[in-house]
Amino acid sequence: MDTFIQLTVDALTLGSVYALIALGYTLVYGVLKLLNFAHGDVFMVGSFIGFGVLQLLGGTSSPVVPIWLLLVVITLAAMAGCAALGVVIERFAYRPLRDAPRIAPLISALGVSFFLANSMQLLFGATPRNYNTFDLANASLYTKGFNIGNVHVALLRIITVVAALVLMLLLWYLVNRTRTGKAMRATSFDREAAAMMGIDIDRVIVFTFVLGSALAGAAGVLQSLRVPTTVAIGFVAGLKGFTAAVIGGIGSIPGAMAGGLILGFAESYAEGYISTKWSDLIVFSILIAFMIFRPQGLLGRADIRKV
Amino acid sequence: MKKAIGLALAVLAITSVVAASAQGSPKVAAASAASVSCKSTITLPLVTPVTGGAGFLGAEQGAWAKYAVKTLAKPLGLKVKFVLGDTPVEQGPAPAQALAQKYVADKSVLVLLGPSTSGAVAASSSTYFQAKIAHISPSATRTSLTQGSPREATAAFFRVVPGDYIQGPSDARFMMSTLKVKKVVLLDFQEPYSVGLADAVESVLKKGGVSTSRLSAPNTTTDYSAFVTKVPSDADVVFFPTQKPGDAQTFAQQLIEQGKKAKVFGGDGSNDPSAFKQAGSYVSNFAPDITGIKADAAIIAGWKKDNPGKTVGSFGPPSYGAAQVALNAIALACKQGHGKADRQSVLRNIKKVTINNWILGGKFKWSTKTNDPLNAKFYIFQIQSNGTYKLVG
Repeated sequence: MDTFIQLTVDALTLGSVYALIALGYTLVYGVLKLLNFAHGDVFMVGSFIGFGVLQLLGGTSSPVVPIWLLLVVITLAAMAGCAALGVVIERFAYRPLRDAPRIAPLISALGVSFFLANSMQLLFGATPRNYNTFDLANASLYTKGFNIGNVHVALLRIITVVAALVLMLLLWYLVNRTRTGKAMRATSFDREAAAMMGIDIDRVIVFTFVLGSALAGAAGVLQSLRVPTTVAIGFVAGLKGFTAAVIGGIGSIPGAMAGGLILGFAESYAEGYISTKWSDLIVFSILIAFMIFRPQGLLGRADIRKV
Repeated sequence: MKKAIGLALAVLAITSVVAASAQGSPKVAAASAASVSCKSTITLPLVTPVTGGAGFLGAEQGAWAKYAVKTLAKPLGLKVKFVLGDTPVEQGPAPAQALAQKYVADKSVLVLLGPSTSGAVAASSSTYFQAKIAHISPSATRTSLTQGSPREATAAFFRVVPGDYIQGPSDARFMMSTLKVKKVVLLDFQEPYSVGLADAVESVLKKGGVSTSRLSAPNTTTDYSAFVTKVPSDADVVFFPTQKPGDAQTFAQQLIEQGKKAKVFGGDGSNDPSAFKQAGSYVSNFAPDITGIKADAAIIAGWKKDNPGKTVGSFGPPSYGAAQVALNAIALACKQGHGKADRQSVLRNIKKVTINNWILGGKFKWSTKTNDPLNAKFYIFQIQSNGTYKLVG
């Protein structure tokens, strides 16, 4: 039972981060019908921005602000930085190709991904960056928390899951309860009709990139609070986020959240109960199974084709 | 949507195939027997991970090999250009194969330092062998590179450090005799170095009656939570032979997070005091702390002058030693060839080199049976609360 609880805690932590990444994929796909393969690298950039700001604030060994403020500031900084990066990517890599055949922006997205990974490596080198959260207040983020039976749920994991949940709720509110969200939904439903109704499509698309990239930045920080980051983490994270989005139903916001959690659970239980060797195989087999048996994902809409 | 995702997956697959084939095209290298004048500039590459999770290795080895070339080449009458070739561990064997093609085609390369990792040696040794290029590794320790059957490296491969056939039993014996372990969990990372080393440790532990279990993580793993969950609460040690020291630190911290009492025991690949500093953990390495060797004082002082602010680690000095062997072999070949040398003559002279004041202490001599050093041993360190490594075995 302890193993099950521990794996569930792992799954929730992992799944929360995957869900935040998947939301970026799904938002952009919903509005632009574009698979933004540079999204994983935006996540990586976010983790580096968080690291940089953390160092500016004295690092974990001698922070100049209280711990809670430190965590909030590095997360917000990463979100802001990634949002700005998202705007730049949209403006220079995707907007000129908006009316081009679908493969053109897809290749552009791969190009942006390589560009980001390689330029980050040139700028900052390949050495892993460790936030060293273990050093904060005598490892209290690891040793404090609560217990379920014999299983210790560390404060750091609670922070990760709660922060992800808050961000997802904010996104849900923004999309479903605000005028901008309504414009996003209208653009997603029918871009031309939305434009005819007076919606500024360019603004909506930029805002979508801001949102998606900001979530990736937050995910980058939340992930790096627990494990070191490198310039190479973007590819795998992006692939997992993409898988989560497809499982949940790409284009569906609740689907991305569900897909991220499903992926987290699948990975964690596969490592715990089947084999640590096969976890990636199992995770990507789930993607293939969805592509074959339910290509619209769990909560996505099936394509209706007029004949 | 199905169409779009299908298209995306197809583009990804094509990109991966093109990238892989570009890196690892199976052109057979043409062996070059051309002699070069010993007065011309000879290129001495060091093949090592410069980027990626093991980038610290290249940084440290590169700094020491460069210093060796700077200080030793001229007294031997040689003009040598030192270059670095990058083999990030995350990218598997492809970069090592691509670099081998490049250096084989470069006639100014007579001998090579590295590859530094066992996987890269296994991937490229036959290419160097065909071109008769001796390649001297300062850190590849997998046993089957120099002995046993099937052998993964060729007769042109040499290493100046002992293999895992010494490291594995040394680590296992230390665990049994000093740490008195009853239960040990061993991880591998699905690549040659860690699998070989974990196998070597596990077999000795089993023979000694220690209960063992094995976990295997993909080399791209960064979050080890699920692996830590599988470590039994009563395990004494987790043997963690990673090539990314930061991962050993993460694993040790996640053990504490889950309230597990096991200590992390890393191999030589995790020996990096700046990244793996969890107090109470252990690491083994093929080199002692050379700051305690009196004969090395001048070398250390000179190196520090060239590398201000850097500390002397365990990976750098063997690279200095490997460069010293390579340069002496070139000098011998030049002498025999009356001012000219080729790859084959350098290869023939490698095992004739002996060094009286070896940087790792004592005298350096090759084994007569294998291309390993004679009488080399492994050292075990315990990480202290201030992050320093204390020699304990």
